[in-house]
Amino acid sequence: MSGQERGTTLGVGERRIGRISLGLLAWIVGLVWIFPVGWTVFTSFKTEQDATAQTLTQGLSFDRYREVSSSTEGTLSLATALSNSLFVVLVSTAIVMLLAIPAAYALAIRRVPKWRDLLFFFISTKFLPVVASIFPIYVYAEKWDLIGTRTILVVLYTAMNLPLAVWMIRSFFMEVPRELIEAAEIDGTKLINQLRSVIVPISAPGIAATALLCVIFAWNEYFYAIQLNFANGSTMPQWVIGNVDTRGNFLAKLSAASVIACLPVVLAGWIAQKRMIRGLSMGAIK
Amino acid sequence: MTAADATRKGKVGDPFSSPWRRRLPLLPALIFTILITQLPFLVSIYYSLTDLKDKTQSLIPQPTRFVGLENYRTLLSNSFFRDAMWTSVKMTVLSVLLSLIFGTAFALLLDRKFLGQGLVRTLLITPFLVMPVVAALIWKQQMFSSLFGLLNKALEFFGLDSVQFISDHPLASIVTVLVWQWTPFMMLIMLAGLQSQPADILEAANVDGARPFGIFRQLTIPHLRRYLELGALLGSIYIIQAFDAIDVMTGGAPGSKNVPYFVYQESIGGGFRYGSASAYAIVVVIASIIIATFALRVLSGLLKDEERA
Amino acid sequence: MASVQYDAATRLYPGTSQPAVNELSLTIADGEMLVLVGPSGSGKSTALRMLAGLEPLDAGRILIADRDVSAVRPRDRDIAMVFQNYALYPQLDVAANMGFALKQQGVPKEERMQRVRDVAKLLDLEPYLDRKPRNLSGGQRQRVAMGRAIVRRPQVYLMDEPLSNLDAKLRVQTRTELVELQSRLAVTTVYVTHDQVEAMTMGDRVAVLREGILQQCDTPSALYHTPANRFVAGFIGSPAMNQLHASATGPLLIGGADAGISDDLGGERAMIGFRPEAVVIGTGPIAARIRVIEDLGSEAFVHLVIQHEGEDHRLVAKAAAPFAGAVGDNVQIGLRGEVHLFDASDARRATITV
Repeated sequence: MSGQERGTTLGVGERRIGRISLGLLAWIVGLVWIFPVGWTVFTSFKTEQDATAQTLTQGLSFDRYREVSSSTEGTLSLATALSNSLFVVLVSTAIVMLLAIPAAYALAIRRVPKWRDLLFFFISTKFLPVVASIFPIYVYAEKWDLIGTRTILVVLYTAMNLPLAVWMIRSFFMEVPRELIEAAEIDGTKLINQLRSVIVPISAPGIAATALLCVIFAWNEYFYAIQLNFANGSTMPQWVIGNVDTRGNFLAKLSAASVIACLPVVLAGWIAQKRMIRGLSMGAIK
Repeated sequence: MTAADATRKGKVGDPFSSPWRRRLPLLPALIFTILITQLPFLVSIYYSLTDLKDKTQSLIPQPTRFVGLENYRTLLSNSFFRDAMWTSVKMTVLSVLLSLIFGTAFALLLDRKFLGQGLVRTLLITPFLVMPVVAALIWKQQMFSSLFGLLNKALEFFGLDSVQFISDHPLASIVTVLVWQWTPFMMLIMLAGLQSQPADILEAANVDGARPFGIFRQLTIPHLRRYLELGALLGSIYIIQAFDAIDVMTGGAPGSKNVPYFVYQESIGGGFRYGSASAYAIVVVIASIIIATFALRVLSGLLKDEERA
Repeated sequence: MASVQYDAATRLYPGTSQPAVNELSLTIADGEMLVLVGPSGSGKSTALRMLAGLEPLDAGRILIADRDVSAVRPRDRDIAMVFQNYALYPQLDVAANMGFALKQQGVPKEERMQRVRDVAKLLDLEPYLDRKPRNLSGGQRQRVAMGRAIVRRPQVYLMDEPLSNLDAKLRVQTRTELVELQSRLAVTTVYVTHDQVEAMTMGDRVAVLREGILQQCDTPSALYHTPANRFVAGFIGSPAMNQLHASATGPLLIGGADAGISDDLGGERAMIGFRPEAVVIGTGPIAARIRVIEDLGSEAFVHLVIQHEGEDHRLVAKAAAPFAGAVGDNVQIGLRGEVHLFDASDARRATITV
């Protein structure tokens, strides 16, 4: 079998022009699709006047970014929102991994009886609409003084991402060659060490892809963040909304805020995209 | 042989694991999930049987009464609720279908190597990474806005009348944003599907004289079926709960109010009728379970394929 | 006329310095079965895929029926291929699998079904026509893959190790069936295998490849009795030919004893080779000790060790079964039959019959 990746070299009889026009079409599609984002980034460097008129008469600068990062008394500052988001996202993702990895082991490698039903149960929790449970959650969060804390968001984001993580990591574990696990068993390796030295290293790309997805969903989450926080103590989504003016007069400023808010996750996604594709093709389906 | 085969043998008389020891690693995740997702559900059931309201809304504060199934009776005759359900169906089906079609098309484009392939792929996945509220804002302000939106500026340029996208076509606007954001996700799944096609089957078809379109129709699409189902399932799970775009773009204007937004408005979003809102929530949950059972049959088909493979 | 010709065909994978197939030149006559054989990495599969159009050429040409097909797409070459892993279309049943190519060509349904049925009869596949590949055994799948190629009535058949995935007994059985089939259909066939026994029993001619370079292309008998070089001599034949270092000049000494050969090729002699059947145990000038006896019932292979040029050397001898001797016995051995002389560049220069 040839050692080439699929679709890399020109096939026999395939004309170069065909490949080039395909590439051209792909470029056009890509640029059109990204246009709204690109235009927003462009707008973030304009003045408000230019932004609303969609012209470029007053030059470009970083001024909007400066405005948006300074904090005003009483409103949510960038620094606070950023630190809240970072904390909540990283902690909840870490907890998700700690819970999901053993659970995936019990559903993939040393399977529990009725594992199929249990897997279904996990996934079915994602079918329950968030809005359905928000009120009881709010009531009890208030009772326990958790409104406006990071704790409540960490808890909720963990619950939100856990089913996806369990499902994805389970399918990555299914890919681990049985002989390796058996060899570890015969050597008397305990579960925790089996995971640490054999299973997790082999599934590392898939686990990384899963963690990335959890980070994306947690960082971008809006509903719980708004409902369970005060106006000046929340995460990045709320900070962005805080820059909206109903008359749209802060279009450039809003663009700058949007860019800042989205940048971390976009960068993370860009860097990890190959891994994500490999992860998805490796395990999520099989 | 993979881990999947391992557990087919060695369960009875396996000296290494009793059922309870096997369950142990699963318990933390399981208990956590049950606590956080099922308890509020139970509490909601209780509230749905009362007429709980926000006391600060009425002049004469009344104590909360137990009303039994009263909330459920009125619920089914509420035409707004039926509208919301219908909107949910339209929104979800349209968004999932369109993003699957676009996603597959883009995956096909990206399947062959060309100059800057990685870069184009990076550009295409970005909308999925953008915050949903930001995506909604971008489309609302930059693209659709009747005052300074680019689409209207373009229409002006060609001498056409401007269109009030969001006011006149709320559902289409929301679907546009959803499709824009979810197409990359579908594209990734379909790319994974295309690349997992065994190369020698495609070569055999080539040698057998099949033309590219014939190969696609007869071989590639059947192979992609599992990936399409997975994409549809995962996409529906998230799109059915779409909230951010509606809140930011239309504020729940008729035609764009799906069930989550309806329930939200009924409870802490303005109505503060917690009793009846809980009843709606329960009905939605039951409907979700029915849909879920149906969807999970698809999933179990996927799992069975896995076993056989 | 559907002859096949490789004309200095070369394939160099990007990023490598050694061509996978290096200026291969071969002519295959119409109706001939040519086997490409060699160890892994020899380029045999690559050469086959170049003929199929699945690998591009970096230099040289490939001709089918005197037509240069080097830049022609696989589907326009009128060839059929049997893949090592069969490459059956998973969601089509056997009949649809076999009829796939005909359908692509637009052959009307009636004719298509008839041809499929005829070939199914030929290969004993009639009971399985409506089954899907996943419900077939390995041997059945292999026949479906063959049937798919036969139905097409192409100018050339290409086969890429089609028997490798069958169990040993089925493999031997299918081998003879295949040879019969090919001569009956009389279509030019290019067959790739790594198994030299398969190559020897199946090919009209066999081309031995090593690291992309053609070593020798000849009938099996010629390869066996007149190998072109040491590699071919050692690759063909099982157990492998015994090879010993030989002094460049003077009478040939093996294990210190005069083997009765005086030809020194004008001082160019470097190695000698002789097959197990050329070793006689019992009488002879060379002292040896028995290490292992393999008694196969019909014959026996006796593994010996001699002291040659100051070191231990292992030899294999063929003897009649049952073999009267035991492990550890000291015996005398001699040469009788073909002894090949190789020079320092590993080319065979002469063969002496002792």
